Amino acid sequence: MPTTPPQISPVEDQEKYLQDALGVVKAQAFHMKRALDKNKLMDALKNASAMLAELRTSLLSPKSYYELYMAITDELRHLELYLLDEFQKGRKVTDLYELVQYAGNIVPRLYLLITVGLVYIKTNYALRRDLLKDLVEMCRGVQHPLRGLFLRNYLLQCTRNVLPDAADTDVDTPEGTVKDSVDFVLMNFAEMNKLWVRMQHQGHSRERQHREREREELKILVGTNLVRLSQLESVTLEKYQKLVLPGILEQVVSCRDAIAQEYLMECIIQVFPDEFHIKTLNPFLKSCAELEAGVNVKNIVISLMERLASFSQRADTQGGEGATILQQVQLFEVFSDQVASIITTRQYLPPEDMIALQVALVNLALKCYPDRIDYIDKVMLTSVEVFQRLGLEHLESSSLVSKELQKLLKIPLDNYNNLLIILKLKHYAGLMQHLDYTGRKLLSIYILNNALDNETVIPTQEETEQALNLLSPLVNDKEEQPLGEVDLEELAEEQCLLARFIHQLRSNVADDQYLILTAARKILGGGGPQRMKYTLPPLLFQAYLLAYKYKELKDEKWEKKCQKIFQFCHSTITALVKAELAELPLRLFLQGALAIDQIGFENHETVAYEFMSQAFSLYEDEISDSKAQLAAITLIVGTLEQISCFSEENSDPLRTQCALAASKLLKKPDQCRGVATCSHLFWSGKSLASNREETHDGKRVVECLKKGLRIAKQCMDVSVQVQLFVELLNHYIYFFEKGNDQVSVQILNQVIGKIKEELPNLENSDETEQITKHFNNTLEHLRSRLETPDADGVSYEGLEV
Amino acid sequence: MSFFGFGQSAEIEIYLDGQESRKTAEVKTEDGKKERLLLYYDGETVSGKVNISLKKPGSKLEHQGIKIEFIGQIEMFYDRGNHHEFISLVKELARPGDMIAHTSYPFEFSCVEKPFEVYTGANVRLRYYLKVTIIRRLADIVKELDIAVHTLSSYPEMNNSIKMEVGIEDCLHIEFEYNKSKYHLKDVIVGKIYFLLVRIKIKHMEIAIIKKETTGTGPNTFTENETIAKYEIMDGAPVRGESIPIRVFLAGYELTPTMRDINKKFSVRYFLNLVLMDTEDRRYFKQQEITLWRKGDKVRKPNLQSPAILAGTQTLENTAPQEDDQEKTEPAQKEDFLRAPNSQSNDKLNASDPFDQRISSPTESPPESQIQNMTREAGDGQNDPENTE
Amino acid sequence: MLVLVLGDLHIPHRCSTLPAKFKKLLLPGRIQHILCTGNLCTKESYDYLKTLASDVHVVRGDFDDNLNYPEQKVVTVGQFRIGLLHGHQVVPWGDPESLALIQRQLDVDILISGHTHKFEAYEHENKFYINPGSATGAYNALDITVTPSFVLMDIQNTTVVTYVYQLVGDDVKVERIEFKKN
Repeated sequence: MPTTPPQISPVEDQEKYLQDALGVVKAQAFHMKRALDKNKLMDALKNASAMLAELRTSLLSPKSYYELYMAITDELRHLELYLLDEFQKGRKVTDLYELVQYAGNIVPRLYLLITVGLVYIKTNYALRRDLLKDLVEMCRGVQHPLRGLFLRNYLLQCTRNVLPDAADTDVDTPEGTVKDSVDFVLMNFAEMNKLWVRMQHQGHSRERQHREREREELKILVGTNLVRLSQLESVTLEKYQKLVLPGILEQVVSCRDAIAQEYLMECIIQVFPDEFHIKTLNPFLKSCAELEAGVNVKNIVISLMERLASFSQRADTQGGEGATILQQVQLFEVFSDQVASIITTRQYLPPEDMIALQVALVNLALKCYPDRIDYIDKVMLTSVEVFQRLGLEHLESSSLVSKELQKLLKIPLDNYNNLLIILKLKHYAGLMQHLDYTGRKLLSIYILNNALDNETVIPTQEETEQALNLLSPLVNDKEEQPLGEVDLEELAEEQCLLARFIHQLRSNVADDQYLILTAARKILGGGGPQRMKYTLPPLLFQAYLLAYKYKELKDEKWEKKCQKIFQFCHSTITALVKAELAELPLRLFLQGALAIDQIGFENHETVAYEFMSQAFSLYEDEISDSKAQLAAITLIVGTLEQISCFSEENSDPLRTQCALAASKLLKKPDQCRGVATCSHLFWSGKSLASNREETHDGKRVVECLKKGLRIAKQCMDVSVQVQLFVELLNHYIYFFEKGNDQVSVQILNQVIGKIKEELPNLENSDETEQITKHFNNTLEHLRSRLETPDADGVSYEGLEV
Repeated sequence: MSFFGFGQSAEIEIYLDGQESRKTAEVKTEDGKKERLLLYYDGETVSGKVNISLKKPGSKLEHQGIKIEFIGQIEMFYDRGNHHEFISLVKELARPGDMIAHTSYPFEFSCVEKPFEVYTGANVRLRYYLKVTIIRRLADIVKELDIAVHTLSSYPEMNNSIKMEVGIEDCLHIEFEYNKSKYHLKDVIVGKIYFLLVRIKIKHMEIAIIKKETTGTGPNTFTENETIAKYEIMDGAPVRGESIPIRVFLAGYELTPTMRDINKKFSVRYFLNLVLMDTEDRRYFKQQEITLWRKGDKVRKPNLQSPAILAGTQTLENTAPQEDDQEKTEPAQKEDFLRAPNSQSNDKLNASDPFDQRISSPTESPPESQIQNMTREAGDGQNDPENTE
Repeated sequence: MLVLVLGDLHIPHRCSTLPAKFKKLLLPGRIQHILCTGNLCTKESYDYLKTLASDVHVVRGDFDDNLNYPEQKVVTVGQFRIGLLHGHQVVPWGDPESLALIQRQLDVDILISGHTHKFEAYEHENKFYINPGSATGAYNALDITVTPSFVLMDIQNTTVVTYVYQLVGDDVKVERIEFKKN
């Protein structure tokens, strides 16, 4: 019956096997030390050999084997120290190096050989070079991956302090030079790596995951070789270039194992200094292109780029040698070329990885060459070419490659925080086109937010056009836009961002500002009604501001320019009207009228009148809701009250129109309040007729208020009636105190009397209480005026409070 | 010794010239013990004195003459009565007469030819001794003294390396090389093994030194194999392209020079046996004869200063073919590996390891019912290349 | 008790954002109430106020589309009745006597109004009037030199201490005005 080969045993057995082995180790180590105490070297060696024989096991997992290894090598130190001591005392232990080689089993034999070899080296450097060569060569005898790896690890650990580290010379030096150390470690490295790789191919394929986990646990053993190389001080850049790196890379590439390649390349990056990496970019990156299909080359290259980028930043701040090196090496060009070649040679590289590499390139460029926008643009172009070659369009926004691309596009923005620089990139917009609609929209929002957060000002028409075209997914509808209902809330949010951004389209030169506004208007006009209501108002207010600016500048053609601006405003507001909006254009017309009045350019009255009349027609034709009507007419009245540019023939119809409109409101209380408000038009309102002074037409004021009283009386609800009386009383008092001689104490007494008559009839309610308070406050006001009349104020004499 | 307890008796002592300072050598006795004997070489004079002391002083010893012989003889253990003396020299020390007192007789065998080395094997023994006989009427008084003889050789003129490719078709191709074909007894075997093709799961590999003692002739030939040493040189399974170093120090083992057809009676030959063990405990081996010879002893320098301890890992050239595409460069197969049954029943394991002998020897596992010298083609299918993936 | 008073942000119509220096001052968790005179214009601006304090009162400004905002409102903080309205409804705009009419109607100790984009705080017939101005310094047709401002009221018992924050150039200037209730 053939016995099945011993396999790594299940976890539960591991502990038992390990404990058994450790028991033997403990016992043999005890005897070994006793023998050493008694100077019985042969006995001690026998015990050591028996102890080491435990390392021949095939039963342990890497983890348990490691524990055993640690326990044993710990004990071996005693032997080493004893031998060292004996040698130093001058006692010749003849032929010890030969003696230990009689051990019949190779594993214990080689551990002993290494231990003795180390003692020889330490006591006689003349043997060093040859012994190192011999040891590393003899270790070939252990081809079992786990045992071999640990054996060679022991070799590496033992020799770590005795590796020759002197510069090369022409004379033969038996104590060795750094070249011997490099050869030694490189050989050990290659052998260990082969053993490590071999683990992958042992056992059944279904245990692959398990094996890979075990390999993962052991990788540090292989990596230690590279650490050792990096610790050799005499490994100069030249040595690294000619000897060390080619040696490592040759092994890495030729082992054709993805796990090893990925780990070791990363290792190289981490253990050797950046100064070396910079000078060996080409060979390193060339090797990257030759790695196995399963290797995540992207991560390796990116890791290197990131390291060098931070190195460059450090060098920039500290100056010195690092900075000089950077000037010599065209870091970006080298990486750019090599990344391109990696992308072409590795066809199976997923597109997201290709783009991730571009991301890294951009990061590198930004960190090392912040001024070289052309580098960024080059990456953008390369990326466009990659997509074109792969035939990738409209990348689905949740796909990995789309996410990488968005990252790529965001980086320059995040770094420069300046949209203007992005606009200078010729291939940015083109690259953005490879995103699908959602992706482009998301990016547009990102760009917008960036511009807003950094308050980036777009100072020219050209850049305005570029910026708005870049943001086109937000600016207008797209064919590929997903069908179905538009989420109005989402749209509002997006458009609000865009609207805010418009305030940053701003030139200090007035004429340029005009060009910016008209250009923006043209583009934003294509956005449809839903967008325009957000995007056009900011344009209008900017236009109004610009008109003020011209007024201030007062250049030759300023009046013509203002006229042009208001024409522009008129047509822009009309566009909103056409978009079936009413209240918003009404308000904007009123705002326009106010501005026109203030600026007072040639022919401004006509323009102002046009704006007011447009507001009126909107009021009449488009606003039907009674509440909205009251709000609108109040606003019209308030605005008209402020405007002083109208001559008699314009101001009169407007004021009358207001009063008329107020009296035509649907609800009686609204009518009442409306006409009361209108009364102010005839008092404090100004016009050319009154030389832009307050009109003070007391009669018309009182007419309004009387009309108010009449309307109030028509109210069926007594409490509303009383409330309106109190309000009207206040208006009377207002004008009385303003010196309107048409308002007499008598009238006041009448209104007060009326209120006093009705008030007690009201039901007890919150409303009644409010009305009473209002009335009492009014009376309180009157009383205080009675008591302390103004010196030049009107007299309340005869008032019955 | 006197049978009767009366009459004169005498004690013979053989004193060899310079015995205090003469080198000695350890020689195995028939019963397996070892004794130290004075060492002589071929052509050396053997001289000394024979001291005869009387047990009963004052009374005379009557004798028919006293002689001393120098004898070299081969003894077959299965043929006790028959000794083959290849040397027999006699010197008369005294004419017949009476001996009255202690007497001393000098003797000398000058420049004696000693063509063979002393040897004690499984079936045969070759010894040299001096024999003093006091001839008497009833019972002779005899004294024998064994000496050791070593045959020294000079460096062989021809000493090629042993280099060979062996394999089992499509399973295993290796090339091995031993740096010499003739080794002196304190020599070091240095070698290398290249694996050109590995499709079996090798567990480990060892080198055994096998001594083959052949006695008799014709149908009465007896061959005795003895494994002098077992030496693991590889642990685990290599892959194609690996090379494994071999270094075996011979000094630690009990070896004799190779003896070929000694006096037409027997031969002692040595073989290096390269044994591969697979994970199913099947063995594959290849034996190569080496010639052992004895070098004149020189004082060995202490090792500390001598790179000789490194014994050649650097001297053996890389002889493996370039690891090219294997199809193209596959060398013509020269010899077949032998696949052994699991036990070599006539092996006697000679534990000459200075440390514990812990090789997990397949001799402990039950022998497979396989015939010797089996090649893979006749195998049980378990070694098919598919299975080794 | 800290009450933030602000309004007339006009984002995005007239401004892109609150001044950064104001944003730095307005930290969440320190303010108990917010009284807003209107013209937030967007939900984002309202949401922003909500991040500063959970109790936010808003009245409708002339550019607010949100019809849920009332025209005027009375809020009681401690011992103070505070009236809040945007002010575009009060003709003439910003006229103290006209505002006094509203004060009497609402029966409040403090009347807060906006619309003029000009900070004001004054006592009139024993009542206190506050106009926080425009927090963004938004465009105003009647006076285009607008200083961004807002007001913080610290109300303790019968005293309200008013701090006005104005962005003059690049600096935030703070003034303090105290008002005591009779």
